[in-house]
Amino acid sequence: MSVESIRKSTHPNTAADQPASTGAKPLFRARWLRWLNRRLPPAQTVTLDHRKLFVLPTSAGMGLLLVIFLLWLLGTNYENNLVLALAFLLVGMLVILPVHTFANLSGLKLQLRATHPAFAGDYGQATIALSKTGKRRHERLQLAWPPEEGQLTDVLDAEPHEIRLDLPLLQRGRVQAPRIQVQSRFPLGLFRCWSWVDLDAEFLVYPQPKPAGQLPIGASVGEGNQQKTFAAGGDDFVGLKNYQPGDSLRHVAWKQYAGGRDLYSKEYASGSDARLWLDWDLLGGRDVETRLSNLCAWVLDAERAQVPYGLRLPGHTIAPDLGSAHKHKLLRLLALFPVQGVSQ
Amino acid sequence: MSAATSQLQSLLPRESLLWIFAAQLVVLLPHTMHLPIWLLGAWAVAVYWRLEVFRGRRETPGRLAKLVAVSLVVAGLVLTYRRWFALEPMVALLAVSFTLKNIELVSRRDALLSLMLAYFLAATLFVFEQTIPYALYGIVCVVIITAALVAQQGRGSARPGRALGLSTKLLAQSVPVMLVLFVVIPRLGPLWAVPQNTKAASTGISDSMSPGDFSELSKSDKPALRISFDGALPPPEQRYWRGLVYTHFDGRRWSEPGAADGYPRWGRGRSNRRPFGDTSGDDRALPAVGPRYRYQIIQEASHNPWLFALARPNSETRGVRETGDDTLVYRTPVGTRLAYDVRSWPRESVGEGEVLSGSEQRRHLQLPASGNPRARAWAKARFEEGMDGEAISGALLSLYNRNFTYTLKPPALGADTVDEFLFTTRQGFCEHFASSYVFTMRAAGVPARVVAGYQGGEWVDQQGYLLVRQYDAHAWAEIWLPGRGWVRVDPTASVAPERIRDGLQSAAAEEFMQDAFLPLHKIAFVTRLRLQWDMINYRWYQTVVSFDNERQEGILRRLLGEISPLRMALFMGVPMVAALLLLLLWLKLSGRGPSLPVASRLYLRFCRRMARAGLPRNPGEAPGDYARRIERELPRLGPMAVRITRAYEKAAYGSDMLAEKQLRRLVRGFWPLRHTRQAQAQT
Repeated sequence: MSVESIRKSTHPNTAADQPASTGAKPLFRARWLRWLNRRLPPAQTVTLDHRKLFVLPTSAGMGLLLVIFLLWLLGTNYENNLVLALAFLLVGMLVILPVHTFANLSGLKLQLRATHPAFAGDYGQATIALSKTGKRRHERLQLAWPPEEGQLTDVLDAEPHEIRLDLPLLQRGRVQAPRIQVQSRFPLGLFRCWSWVDLDAEFLVYPQPKPAGQLPIGASVGEGNQQKTFAAGGDDFVGLKNYQPGDSLRHVAWKQYAGGRDLYSKEYASGSDARLWLDWDLLGGRDVETRLSNLCAWVLDAERAQVPYGLRLPGHTIAPDLGSAHKHKLLRLLALFPVQGVSQ
Repeated sequence: MSAATSQLQSLLPRESLLWIFAAQLVVLLPHTMHLPIWLLGAWAVAVYWRLEVFRGRRETPGRLAKLVAVSLVVAGLVLTYRRWFALEPMVALLAVSFTLKNIELVSRRDALLSLMLAYFLAATLFVFEQTIPYALYGIVCVVIITAALVAQQGRGSARPGRALGLSTKLLAQSVPVMLVLFVVIPRLGPLWAVPQNTKAASTGISDSMSPGDFSELSKSDKPALRISFDGALPPPEQRYWRGLVYTHFDGRRWSEPGAADGYPRWGRGRSNRRPFGDTSGDDRALPAVGPRYRYQIIQEASHNPWLFALARPNSETRGVRETGDDTLVYRTPVGTRLAYDVRSWPRESVGEGEVLSGSEQRRHLQLPASGNPRARAWAKARFEEGMDGEAISGALLSLYNRNFTYTLKPPALGADTVDEFLFTTRQGFCEHFASSYVFTMRAAGVPARVVAGYQGGEWVDQQGYLLVRQYDAHAWAEIWLPGRGWVRVDPTASVAPERIRDGLQSAAAEEFMQDAFLPLHKIAFVTRLRLQWDMINYRWYQTVVSFDNERQEGILRRLLGEISPLRMALFMGVPMVAALLLLLLWLKLSGRGPSLPVASRLYLRFCRRMARAGLPRNPGEAPGDYARRIERELPRLGPMAVRITRAYEKAAYGSDMLAEKQLRRLVRGFWPLRHTRQAQAQT
């Protein structure tokens, strides 16, 4: 499988939200992103410094500017030096505040610890470690993938502080996470210091599970595309079916029942491949993404039902097995299934 | 993006609310002195309501409830204030707005708005009072409001110690900028007419004089004027600070009809010209003779427009003008301390050739139609004896001198006040003497008027100013003599000359400040302390409150030599750049990690030098491995590298002081580039 054909995409947030703060024009956005990429190249470990941080007054800061102007008017009209002095004191505060706001973020080290795979349509989670590089504490940090809420945290101690950030994922494949917005309004909320950090986070996104009906127990697609059916009641274990009154109690899957599941009957068939094959070809007639979604749902069902399952994809065959590692191996295959590898 | 931050995050926690309320309370408390007290009640109700909402015991008020609250408060304001274009109603409106805002204090936005309003309201405090205690209180207000802003940042920041500490730190760092701006930013002067503080009771000398007014004043030792002189100081007997001239007498009361209403009306605008009544016209040429006295007067708030000066004053201070009665007025009532510069000419320089016009003559001879027959008869008799104005005045003064007593507690007078005082009680205070004197002179056909103001003052040596207190209030007379013009006559001086020379305190020692709750003026130590406090006040007022363009220019000239754009830019720029550099330095220092031990630093220097020589240490490579690699790849430096590494290991892990010394010596002498170059030269 060539690298190019693997589904790899950038997250839609990258395109949709970051430019919102700069302007809607695509050309401008592209240029902005290019500039950001040059200035803040993607890296798994980023230490914020003066080249990576931006400071601007918030609306409250502009409000204080207005108050200062009004105070100046008041002081001038009443020829009142104390009012003027107060206005000048507030000006002084506006002068020194950006430095404090900047200092609060400067020296913060962000390190991508891990990204956890997720299903499309769900939230992917990234674990990020925040730590100090100096003695200065970092307070009221807001980390987010806008427009998500993100996390509010403080980094006060020497040891790294781990946070988890959620990112909604829509498409399967490898998804490159957008830049993380790190911001703080400390200490007075009058200035905002922020940075767009690209921690080079990549999510593995499994297809969104879409139910495809009962597990295809005993079903198989032969060479000639003709379906083999198995006679029930043989010796080979085929799979589980929902218990129905009248089924032999000897065939009840007690082990699963004891595990807190519903009552199942073990089904036995004879003279055939008794293992469960989740086969791409069983789902003929649907488009690629739907097939993958259905297969994904089957994988989850089979794992839940504790029926050893295998996967047949064009170009891949994984022997039936059980367990978390097996499941993730299969899901990974589904996630990375090439978009245009197979004609319908 | 910020709009999208969660609702949960923008809801106000308890600490935030409490801090906002604390800041509001601190700002509101001193305002209760001039604002209706029910405002504080309304505020308390709003706060209680909001806290109940927070506890979940009550619903957030609905539209109707808010409407009712707003109308109630507005109705209260309407009932309290009739006039809207005045200072108090406007400040009250501000206070009301943030009181009402409390009810719907929901989001961070509301909190910030409320605190911005609090800053403004704290500043309005200074419009009412500019004294040191108020200034200190203002600082406390600003620190607390800023702490409340800090507290909005979250629970960790809301701890009182943390919030106040951070707020104090931030404000302290802002002070240098404030000082520079205070000195440098030009004062433009009022841009438009602003409402003044009107409600405050006027203090000091009023626009009329009836018996008992001045003895009332004598009970107060509050400062009235502080006067510093540029040059000569008038001798004590010349220190008559004229404020008001009373020409109208109704039998009991001397007044200046229309004066109280008239002055402010004239005062609109900024012109320094005389409104009317001045014989020498608008562009009065100042006398050729130079002014006798130049002085600056700092007047306490009197809430009256009249100012005080020696006779024949002229002032260049903005908003001050001379009147036809030879006094100064300000364009508005003096609501806060006011400083004005005055020059006074000697009386002789302008008295010559002056003629009293017909209307002026009538004005200064006005008497009630009837009353005080005995005084009239006495005057008539003197007039018929053929005495001129000066002689009659002399006769009257000698009458006072012979039989009269100066006292702060004169007996009450009936209907004919002048008659009873002159011929029955013969005990009185300055106002009795001035009143009866002017009455009698007018009855004798000599134009005369009562002048009210202050007389004397206490010389404060250390700071070089004259402190005039309320008990120095005095009333005296002026008569018009042909050829000489207005001449000052002080009838009190002929009874109690010590009153003029030494002041009231010695003239009426028995009675002086008798009613005071504590006779503090009798304790020397307390008196000295009070004088000290007054001096501090004076300095404060001189340097801060009355800082204006002129002083600004003076300071800049002293600091810069001359005022040129370049020097101004330097003056502004240098401190800013210095401050910025200091801040950056602080950033650098506070941002640096814990410093490495000496041995490690020395070893790192060794590694840097090796890197320059072309063999950098790999990340994570152990010193021992590195030394072996050097031995292998650059045999010439090998032995040295091994020695250094060994010394480093001993110093770093064995805490061996000797090894550290050795390491230092070795690293200092280790110049791999030089070694290799020398080696190449040799080969």
